[in-house]
Amino acid sequence: MSATGSTPASVIEESLPHEGWPGGEGAEVPPGIGPYQLAWRRLRRNKVALAFGGLFLVILILCLLAPLYAKYVAHTGPNSENVDTALNQFGVPLGPTWHAKYFLGADPVGRDVAVRLLYGGRNSLEIGFEATLITIVLATLLGVLSGYFRGPLDGFISRAFEVIWAYPVYLLGIVLGVVLAISGLDLGLFKIGSSSLLITALIIGVIYTPYVGKAIRGQVLGLREREFIDAARQQGLGNFRIMYQEILPNVASTIIVFIPLVLANAILTEAGLSFLGAGVRPPNPSWGTMISEGINLLPSAVHTMLVPGIMLVLCVLGINVFGDGVRDALDPRAKIRIDH
Amino acid sequence: MKKLTRPIMASALTLGVVIALAACGSSNSSSTSSAAASSSSKTTSSSSSSSASHNGTTATVVIGTFPQSLDPSIDFTTQGGEVHWLTYLGPYSFAHASGTAGTQIIPAIATTMPTVSDGGKTYTFTIRKGLTYSNGAPVKASDLTFGIERALKLGWSAASFLTSTIEGAAAYSKGTSKTVSGITTNDSTGQTTIHLVSPYGAFLDILAVPGVSYMPAATTPLKPEPNNPPVGFGPYVIKNVQNNVSYDLDKNPTYAQQAIPGIPAGHLNIHFSIQSNTTTEASMVLNNQADVFDWGDTIPPSLIQQVSGLSARFKAVQTNKTFYWFLNVTEKPFSSQLAREAVQIAVDRPALARLGSGALVPGCYLLPPQMTGHPTTPCPYNIDVNSTPDLAKAKQLVQQSGMSGQPVTVWAENRQPRLEWAENYANTLNEIGFKATLKTIADADYFSTIETLKNHPQTGFADWQQDFPNPTDFYQNLVDGNAIVPVGNSNYEEVNDPHIQATLKELYPVPAAQLATAASKWQALDYYVTQKSYVVPYGYLSSPEFVSNRINFNALVFSPLQGNDFSSLQFK
Amino acid sequence: MSRFIVRRLFSMIGVLFAISVLTFLLFNALPNPALRLAGRFASAAQIAHINHQWGFDQPVYIRYLTIMKLVFTGKVISYDQQVNVDHQLLQYLPVTASLAIGAGIIWLSMGILFGVLSAWRAGKWLDRGLTVLALIGVSMPVFFLGALMSYYLGDKWGILPAGGYVKLQDDPAQWFVHMLMPWFALSVLFIGVYSRVLRSTILDTVNDDYVRTARAKGLTERQTMTRHVLRNSLIPIVTLFGLDFAAVIGGGAILTESVFNLHGIGQYAAQSVEALDIPPVLVITLFGAFVVVILGAVTDILYAYLDPRIRL
Repeated sequence: MSATGSTPASVIEESLPHEGWPGGEGAEVPPGIGPYQLAWRRLRRNKVALAFGGLFLVILILCLLAPLYAKYVAHTGPNSENVDTALNQFGVPLGPTWHAKYFLGADPVGRDVAVRLLYGGRNSLEIGFEATLITIVLATLLGVLSGYFRGPLDGFISRAFEVIWAYPVYLLGIVLGVVLAISGLDLGLFKIGSSSLLITALIIGVIYTPYVGKAIRGQVLGLREREFIDAARQQGLGNFRIMYQEILPNVASTIIVFIPLVLANAILTEAGLSFLGAGVRPPNPSWGTMISEGINLLPSAVHTMLVPGIMLVLCVLGINVFGDGVRDALDPRAKIRIDH
Repeated sequence: MKKLTRPIMASALTLGVVIALAACGSSNSSSTSSAAASSSSKTTSSSSSSSASHNGTTATVVIGTFPQSLDPSIDFTTQGGEVHWLTYLGPYSFAHASGTAGTQIIPAIATTMPTVSDGGKTYTFTIRKGLTYSNGAPVKASDLTFGIERALKLGWSAASFLTSTIEGAAAYSKGTSKTVSGITTNDSTGQTTIHLVSPYGAFLDILAVPGVSYMPAATTPLKPEPNNPPVGFGPYVIKNVQNNVSYDLDKNPTYAQQAIPGIPAGHLNIHFSIQSNTTTEASMVLNNQADVFDWGDTIPPSLIQQVSGLSARFKAVQTNKTFYWFLNVTEKPFSSQLAREAVQIAVDRPALARLGSGALVPGCYLLPPQMTGHPTTPCPYNIDVNSTPDLAKAKQLVQQSGMSGQPVTVWAENRQPRLEWAENYANTLNEIGFKATLKTIADADYFSTIETLKNHPQTGFADWQQDFPNPTDFYQNLVDGNAIVPVGNSNYEEVNDPHIQATLKELYPVPAAQLATAASKWQALDYYVTQKSYVVPYGYLSSPEFVSNRINFNALVFSPLQGNDFSSLQFK
Repeated sequence: MSRFIVRRLFSMIGVLFAISVLTFLLFNALPNPALRLAGRFASAAQIAHINHQWGFDQPVYIRYLTIMKLVFTGKVISYDQQVNVDHQLLQYLPVTASLAIGAGIIWLSMGILFGVLSAWRAGKWLDRGLTVLALIGVSMPVFFLGALMSYYLGDKWGILPAGGYVKLQDDPAQWFVHMLMPWFALSVLFIGVYSRVLRSTILDTVNDDYVRTARAKGLTERQTMTRHVLRNSLIPIVTLFGLDFAAVIGGGAILTESVFNLHGIGQYAAQSVEALDIPPVLVITLFGAFVVVILGAVTDILYAYLDPRIRL
């Protein structure tokens, strides 16, 4: 996880591949096709990426439909315990019944695993998306500003990135998660309740900002030396117009490439935090909490842990493979360096 | 060559720094954190173990949580008690025997049973001569006064045993007196006299409870010593304490030549290893990677069927342990009688029994079934502990009480099945109209947290294991209004009911030998407590006696009060 | 060169200072621990003592200095059980160090191996297979994998010990056997990341001008590959490694340590948080962040020494 910010990235940027180099993909560019349409065509040809993207989409939709499933199919909520019917007299929960009720079995306290899986997915995905949004917005803002203006502002922002990135993610996450869960967050301007998912999302979002921010900054550093920026300046455009009109669109593809990466990481981090008890609070479900609840039942009820775990892996895998495909489509020459 | 040396140097530097760090860390002497024997090894050869302690002379106990404190003047949990009764002897102790024989009192540091005079208000005994602590200092009669004062000063969780009985103890505890006036000792003769405020039938039992012990007054500090427990007198000493990781019970080398009859020296050294995941804990004993499963933990649902089949090394022992939810009567919503009744009715006892691996026997009374004073009448409010509760009625009562929608914080321990019980309970509270949220505390800190009065916990997990076969044990600490203290408070409900106080005043003085005569009064009181729903008992748990196949199961003594008697632990 | 070193060191100190201030503010914002302490220390005298020792009764900047002094002189006492945090840290450090070194060796070597193989056979089945493995590795949460390994390989089939740590000096063979599963569980993610980064870096370097020059000069494919392509491609890998490794040492392997019950720094931090015991968390956070920043600065200085371009 590169934290130095200056040296290795700049060495790599110096050796950017050369535009217009003959051979390789992009050689048969039909006239009049924009880069995004080109990328879309490439993506369409990548069946595997599409398939996994579809997998993620299916998971997303299923999770969004959680309340419908709970109401019409399973007839039970995510937190309703049915210890008498779903656990045997020794406390071992029901395995998957493959029927409407307890389709995927019961969890250690008698709740319907399938229902919790979908509700948990909603929580996990909500946090993931919120965190990604926070990261992308903050990183773009800070990355563009620091790359464009350079000087002391850049120095300050780069140091800030270094500081944030130096923190051990999970440690910070659990400290803030546990403590804020007790007292909520009161920033004067707005208050976040202690059981809100936003706190976890905020923590994850801020922690991953340097990761994206540095890449964007690096790209902007290169862009600002280019002729079209000079041309814009000669036209009399102010700095912010330039950033918005010229720089931002060029950074867009980098941003797009990062979105799936950050999303995947955010979901995994949330699962880890919830597993440690510092993310989503019980009794609310999240794939991470379901895994930690199910671990104790591995000897006799494997499904309690396997189901949320496999779902988590499939979801993140879907995002990662699709994200890989997006990157290949937008940037087949690997111009965008992603140093984890 | 240039370009590759950069990365190499960086990695080499990193590795170098880290190795240096690792090397300086390893010079510390500390014990390892868990058993090393692989599951295929069934012998006790040292090739399967890691340090000198893991061989034919040490047994490993896996335990789900570190005790509240290893300092006997603070702790009153089973995790502490099972160690303290072997390391900090008091004037009396309980017999090292299984079954009811284990509830008999025997003299420990005192020479004989005490002379009780003055209508039951004065206890006199003499201590044995020539006893020395593990550090060589002589055991003096005045060390008992010191030990009692220390327990009061440090906020012992069962301080109520002392403040309501011994003259001057309450004043000392409040700070208005410099000593506990009711105890007089003569160090040269060893004679000790204790004056009580009023006759107290179970006082001899209190003198036998771990925590009421002798400690060298000259050298023991008056501040808490959790990782460096004070010196005591007993067959074992506590050593190598690693907070939240492990601690050792080593044989006291000086005990054998001054052994007290009835309190034998041990055979093996014991290594306690914290294993907070109960499934792993039970697996380790199942696979013979550890020797003893702590009696304070519950064998998890995933393994109970497998384990119960092993009759050669497993037994479920009925030990008189009640599990209940406390309801704080000083705040909403449980200041309302109706709201409390609703909870008493709504708690799903059969569900809780299942969650407890089926080892929990559902019940509604605070006193356990085998104890004198357990009511023989059916539960109040038509509660049938074996069938699903009448939630509708409970909801109605909550609405009637006007407490619908009141936020409630449920305090809970972390380990299985206590967390699951608390989740189920919180769920129940939500179903009848409250807004319950769960607050889990790490097990080792749980009791110190809820015992702090300032926190005013509204409701939460509690349990009580009998310390001696007398209802006084339960009531003195849990329901007596006089037991409410700012630190170390075990009356979590903060209940101070005049009827209870008046009845206790009549019942406390009944001599232990005549307990049967007071049985009906106790039964009526216990019924009353459930009726008023200050506490919501839900069941009685049997304790697991579960060991590896290395242990001589027949020779193992399992005390009904302190669990596995480690001094009786031997390999086959 | 010396100007560069001075600049870099200043920058490092600045960042360390910022981290210490930020950490301090963070912990300052937490509910006053003196008030919420577990009962055993709740006597007024003891609370006053803690307030004084930690400077809670002082203005903010004095409190900062007090706390920093406590940390750096090794006198931080935890609230829970009143032990010296630095002594505890030293006890737990060997575990985390064992985990980090072993896993580091595994993930670095296998990551490089898989990356090279993938690039060498780019587009073919081997590449695709390795990419699939890498992607799964990256998508697999370490606690899930760890729990599965610990249960199946440990409790159920008894092939390896399910968890726990044996000290190296007590029994090297057992130490090794106990560390195998944690090493692999922790490495899986990094192997996935490193192999993909290396693969894309190699594939890209292969097209660079100087490689064309090397080939034109008459170097064999193998010489080109090892002397130019591989060397340059390894640079980002080693940078990543330096920082990932530092992160693991600094307590970043919380999940692995918790699942396998290793009692390392990460698990210690997690348990302290659960017990709302602030001092160890404060010290570990600072320690972790410092390790990352210091190692980063040292690496940068080394790079600058070896590559003059960077000093500009």
